[in-house]
Amino acid sequence: MIRVMLGLGARAAVVLAGTAFATFALLWHAPGDPALAIALARFDAQVPPEVVEQIRAQAGLNAGFWSAFQAWIGPLLTGDFGRSSVTGREIWPDLVTAASYTFPLALAGLAIGLALSIPLAIIATRRPGGWLDRGAVALASLGAAIPTYWLGLLLILLFAVQLGWLPAMGARTPVHIVLPALTLGLGVAASLTRILRSGILEARSQAFLPAFRRRGVTPNDIERAHVAPHAAVPVVTVIGLELAFLLEGAVILEVIFARPGLGTFLVNAISTRDFPAVQAVVIVAAVIFVCVNLLIDLIYRVLDPRIGEHDA
Amino acid sequence: MTITLFGLSATRSGRPILHPTDITIEPGARVGLVGASGSGKSTLGHTLIDALRAQGTTVAHVPQSPDEALDPLRSMGFHWREAERALHLAPNPARQAKLFEALNISGANLRKRPWGWSRGMQQRFVIAMALIGTPDLLVMDEPTSALDPVVAAQTMDLLDRYLADRHTALLLITHDLGLAARRVSRLLVMAQGQVVEDAPTLQMLAQPQTKQAQALCAHRNWRTLPC
Repeated sequence: MIRVMLGLGARAAVVLAGTAFATFALLWHAPGDPALAIALARFDAQVPPEVVEQIRAQAGLNAGFWSAFQAWIGPLLTGDFGRSSVTGREIWPDLVTAASYTFPLALAGLAIGLALSIPLAIIATRRPGGWLDRGAVALASLGAAIPTYWLGLLLILLFAVQLGWLPAMGARTPVHIVLPALTLGLGVAASLTRILRSGILEARSQAFLPAFRRRGVTPNDIERAHVAPHAAVPVVTVIGLELAFLLEGAVILEVIFARPGLGTFLVNAISTRDFPAVQAVVIVAAVIFVCVNLLIDLIYRVLDPRIGEHDA
Repeated sequence: MTITLFGLSATRSGRPILHPTDITIEPGARVGLVGASGSGKSTLGHTLIDALRAQGTTVAHVPQSPDEALDPLRSMGFHWREAERALHLAPNPARQAKLFEALNISGANLRKRPWGWSRGMQQRFVIAMALIGTPDLLVMDEPTSALDPVVAAQTMDLLDRYLADRHTALLLITHDLGLAARRVSRLLVMAQGQVVEDAPTLQMLAQPQTKQAQALCAHRNWRTLPC
């Protein structure tokens, strides 16, 4: 087990190092003049070329690629994300504030997704091929086909504009989270329902189950003790992948719903060419991804120890 | 209680794989079901078990392979407790210890899952599970195919001793006529989804009537096998 964890840790380190380098290199080589963009963001007016050059020197943009990379990665390794090149503020506190809005949203989305998809999949698989099952599959396919931003706008139109039940913009009260979380949750539910449904059906068709029936184990016990654990294994994997969807969805939804959060933070940083801030968000997202996937790898091995037996 | 069933049949994708068959098994009888692979032996066994369970007759089953009997995600201990619960029996460590000792799997770790045990041990565990209660009928489908000949013979001896003082009847499904010849008093020969011959073992071995039975008996090497 220790060897396995060391192996997984080494892989995680490689992924994070690759992400850091790729992000830095992509932004460095992006077209356009970042110094000019920063100047525009700072002064919101036409600025003389001397000021732009001054900013370029300040932000370390006139150094070579490698020295700039070293100047960024060195402090990062000690946990220092540096300062925003636009506002000059420390990035880390702002990032924490942003995350404190995004994490509850992502978790609420995941919770809504699970709360909808588990009962739906159980109802659907009660009679495979029946009209309830077909209905659930149709609904799930429809849900998976609808882009998050469109669903978000539809929900705003219905619940905020037409009915006036829920607030759509901002994050002033806890109620403000309902609409964006519902939007995220419906998207998660759509894909989870399909995975759960096929997982349950596959688990039910396992060759050893008839022997349990013939042994006199009740259908309820078979479902609980032998179908559910097998159906859970693919779901755990998918939740890891859903995290990508959740973070990505949160970025789009925060802009649509005018919520503060990592998404809004990232979009603002990109539009003002605030490279250190963009890099910080990407690194934090990568760390979250790697940690969740590590966790899922470990849960996987607990659920089904045959997985990764000859691994690492 | 004599087991009597009429008109057992089975179809797969609309094609009959078991033609209507009548079966009578006396209490405590040892019946062998032999035939070539694909002749419908296991199908008859499954159909028989399902029909008996529906009737309320108690029946235990040892499938052909432990893969068909054990959940790879559940521990052996869980399987055992579940089998006890299914028979409405309270956990009884003494009964478990006795069966395990008899089948020579005493030292094994019950916290492990099936694949933590060797296949032969898994198979003996499944046989032990089938012996927890005292069923009216024990259906064993190729019970010794995962065991080496010596262990197979020991296992069958244990079964003989276990069944000796009980009314439990045994239906032994096998394509190994040598095993059947030594263990059962009556033989059913199956071919193409039908029972084509039904006779006492010695009579069948001496004078097989049908072509299929003659073909099975023609393989005389069953005389030299240890079990």
